[in-house]
Amino acid sequence: MPLSLQSALLSKLRSIVMLLLLPVSSIAHEMTPTYPVFKTSFMEGISITTLNIFNKRKDVSYYEIGVFTKEWESVSFVSQYTVIPMEYLDTISFDVYVSNLSLDSVEYICSVSQIQVGATVSSKICSRVK
Amino acid sequence: MASLILASCSSAYSADVPISGNVQTRCLITTDTNGVFGNPAPSKLSTASADGGVVPVVRYDVTLADAYLAKVTTPTAFSASPSLSDSVTWTGSTAVSKTSDAAMSGYEAAKVTYGSTTQFDLTKAGSTWFSSTATAVYGVNKSFPGGTYNAIIFAECIAK
Repeated sequence: MPLSLQSALLSKLRSIVMLLLLPVSSIAHEMTPTYPVFKTSFMEGISITTLNIFNKRKDVSYYEIGVFTKEWESVSFVSQYTVIPMEYLDTISFDVYVSNLSLDSVEYICSVSQIQVGATVSSKICSRVK
Repeated sequence: MASLILASCSSAYSADVPISGNVQTRCLITTDTNGVFGNPAPSKLSTASADGGVVPVVRYDVTLADAYLAKVTTPTAFSASPSLSDSVTWTGSTAVSKTSDAAMSGYEAAKVTYGSTTQFDLTKAGSTWFSSTATAVYGVNKSFPGGTYNAIIFAECIAK
């Protein structure tokens, strides 16, 4: 292979900036409880449960909440937030309200990290309503 | 006088400073190592060490045995890249790289893989480290254009 071609090839390879290198500090996402229990709320026909999210991810400022059936179909719910803004090392407690009509179909309550450009891991934690 | 001193000592001795706490079942997903693509050939990006990359490692901590499933999905697309005019073929795999308990040694053999997702049943309490390799090949021996390439590992912890 001609030297000029080799040089051009190496130059091209160097120009590809490889991905994903963030600071090596560990980052974490946690949601509790594992098995939330719904109870009667102050509104008739509506049940409530409370969960907590801990954000130890510097690269994540938002978590999206979702409520799902056993088949992972979305269930309508109301919360203070659908997307929770969180600072690094924040713990936030949030309530999830579900109509008693759909309460039997609720199986999972999940939080998913809303990652920013450059983040490499999207995390999702689901609690199960038994 | 002696009884007064004794009473005083007894009072000081019985002063309690309560510490209370609550341990809950939980799953914690931690990114231990961020991945880096190596570029062993113009048409290939790979996180494998042999290809000059860095394998991303995700750690799962669970405090209750047999309560969670871990699912790790390797990328099937770039989340950010220069404009690409040809298709990219992705391959990936996830394996247990380390455990906090020898009793977790069966996780790797018991894993279930479907598509780009690998599922592990976390039957023991403790920490498990999962490493994922991802490889992207561009077209048929085409060179990736210069630029920054990002891809995302999706780590899920689902209560059973």
